[in-house]
Amino acid sequence: MKRQGKPVGFVVNKTILYILLILLAALCIMPFLLMMVNATRSGVEISHSFSFVPGKSLGANYRQLSDYFNIYRGMLNSVIVALPATFLTAYFSAMTAYGLAFYKFKTNKLIFVSILIFMMIPGQLSLIGFYQLCTKLHMVNSYLPLILPAIASPGTVYFLRQYAISVVPRSLMEAARLDGASELYIFHRIVLPLMQPGVATMAIMCFIGNWNNYLLPMIILNKKEKFTLPVLITTLNAATDLQSNQGAIYLAVAISVIPILIVFCIFSRQIIGSIASGAVKE
Amino acid sequence: MKFKKFLAVALTAAMALSMAACGSTGDSGSASTSDSTAAGDTATSDSSSGGDDKIVVWTLAKDLEQFADHYKEKTGKEVETVVIEPADYPTKVQTALMGGESEPDVIVGEPQMLQDFYDNGFFEDLDQFGAQDYADQVVDYVWKVGQDADGVQRAISYQITPAGIYYRRDIAKKVFGTDDPEEIGKLFKDYNTILQTAQTLKDAGYRIFASDGEMNYFSGDSAWVVDNKLNVDQSRYDYMDLAVKLYQDDYTAYASQWSTPWYQAMSGPIPILSQDIQSGSDDSVNVWDSENFEEQTKDLPKTEVFAYGLPSWGVLTLRDNVKDTSGSWGVCAGPSYGFGGGTFIGISSQSKKKEAAWDFIKFCTLDEDTADWWIEKSEGDVVSLKSVLEKHKDDENPVYGNEKLYAFWLQQAEGIDYSKVTKYDKVIGDAWGEAISSIKTGASDKDTAINNFYDTVASTYPDIEIQR
Repeated sequence: MKRQGKPVGFVVNKTILYILLILLAALCIMPFLLMMVNATRSGVEISHSFSFVPGKSLGANYRQLSDYFNIYRGMLNSVIVALPATFLTAYFSAMTAYGLAFYKFKTNKLIFVSILIFMMIPGQLSLIGFYQLCTKLHMVNSYLPLILPAIASPGTVYFLRQYAISVVPRSLMEAARLDGASELYIFHRIVLPLMQPGVATMAIMCFIGNWNNYLLPMIILNKKEKFTLPVLITTLNAATDLQSNQGAIYLAVAISVIPILIVFCIFSRQIIGSIASGAVKE
Repeated sequence: MKFKKFLAVALTAAMALSMAACGSTGDSGSASTSDSTAAGDTATSDSSSGGDDKIVVWTLAKDLEQFADHYKEKTGKEVETVVIEPADYPTKVQTALMGGESEPDVIVGEPQMLQDFYDNGFFEDLDQFGAQDYADQVVDYVWKVGQDADGVQRAISYQITPAGIYYRRDIAKKVFGTDDPEEIGKLFKDYNTILQTAQTLKDAGYRIFASDGEMNYFSGDSAWVVDNKLNVDQSRYDYMDLAVKLYQDDYTAYASQWSTPWYQAMSGPIPILSQDIQSGSDDSVNVWDSENFEEQTKDLPKTEVFAYGLPSWGVLTLRDNVKDTSGSWGVCAGPSYGFGGGTFIGISSQSKKKEAAWDFIKFCTLDEDTADWWIEKSEGDVVSLKSVLEKHKDDENPVYGNEKLYAFWLQQAEGIDYSKVTKYDKVIGDAWGEAISSIKTGASDKDTAINNFYDTVASTYPDIEIQR
């Protein structure tokens, strides 16, 4: 009895735990599953009833979708915008954060405070002004106004500055300087790898943000063949009969989620892998 | 190390890509080639090539894309259509035109956006192109909606959207002994009669409407603002009483418009929900999440719904949802005239190709052949040219018991008095609707609700004189 007692309690605990976890997982997966299933059903079926049994309208939905736009073109456009924007954000924010965290110069505080202040201003406020600026610079209908501003992203700088202070030991940089490394070399070879997990986290956020960005591309881009994915997908709502496109909308969203999943898989391994390793031995 | 290599490769790729994207910025000539080569060229889209006289249409209705294709077929002229989500369309147009954008030649609008567009000067004056020569050919109210406050023609629509009541002929025969649209129309001739009709139907085991919002399109035959004074006509109070009675006396099935049971009621019996379920205070049934709808409602009594109130585009909505009840529907007039929606086309005031744009607008809205083609193509949309409606007046629609719908819609559209439409309608109407729903659910009594309504209007439009 004594020998069995503990395993029984253990098994019961485990069972409860697993049931809870399975429930949670189901809860998380449900919306995705629903999206996938609805992508195979017709608009009328979707608005009439709910089901986990896939329908027969996948082909029809896809034709409907292709009738409106080329989704792969939209995906490519989104990649053209989101990838450069993500890397610009990651690289320049890390650099700025490092500078603000470790160099002592006169206006350091001032710059940091102004970055904090800019974090508070929502970009939508200056939409018309931004459009006018783009017209003057002949940048309407191009991806540049969507990519270049990514260089300055106050939120990321703020996060990475705090992060750099906590993970990068001053002693490492001093050692490098003694060995004759240049400042840029130190940043690229020592600081950046150390900050990798933080940068990767922010990069994921940034990529998702850019991938889903809707307002700015909607305003800036005027050519259908340049539309990014979110702008394209919402045009499905422009049909006379809203209902008939529901299936196509689900299908489009389902397809558009795939790159996000891929990016997340790549970077999450990075994060987990890097957290475990350290540089300075105490 | 791996990450660094990855980063290096990715950064290079990013640069190359952004270079490619750069290329397309200013000079569109050489750029489009570099853009598409770098992009792997998936779409050498039909619109990217084409001459300089190509006009650009920014639209919120997919319909215009079909019009553009048809235009090209007929005239050989290129039209590039950019479809933008309806909800964001005003934002897009406002930002672009205020930012000095001259790219769109043709812009469109729905009735509730038009006043703002007129006030901001987005639409070019169409009278200078001789639009008034066509005044007699287009249904009157549509023509008037396209005019700004000074009576200058700014936009024209290819369709009309008068509201009607869609009813079940089989139920009408059983309960009222007739399914004739004329006779059934009499059952909906005013708000009191509607309540009686509702009672009769309820006694016979049916419900008159699925939701209590079905009379929305017929909700008041008077202007909200007259001479800059808020005008709450007696008919508004009557409508309020009607909506509250429909709700409180159990005449509807408590389905919300566009929810699952609302659609289901088109094809057959649905469970009667309770007030609490609709308002959400009883959460045993979630009408928006059809997930377990059937399971949750299996113990509730079932009923069939008699009628829907929708504009003319409801013809298509019902057609797609009625299933087995196809053929047993009819359409009749409501207690007043009303309309909802419609796409109006005009020329952007900053366009550089106004003549070409006018040609396209003429083709879409004032050409009989196009209207004929559109009736065929859209399978039942109602066009705005009187002569074409006249020509199709004997067309029978099998879904609606072979009723001659075009003649009916023309008649309904001719009754609409557009002078009763103001630019305040959306906000004031919504505030009134808010007041109605707080009364019907018992959240506040009538006086409080109406006072709140006055407060809302006063704070939104300080210039309007309000007599409480």
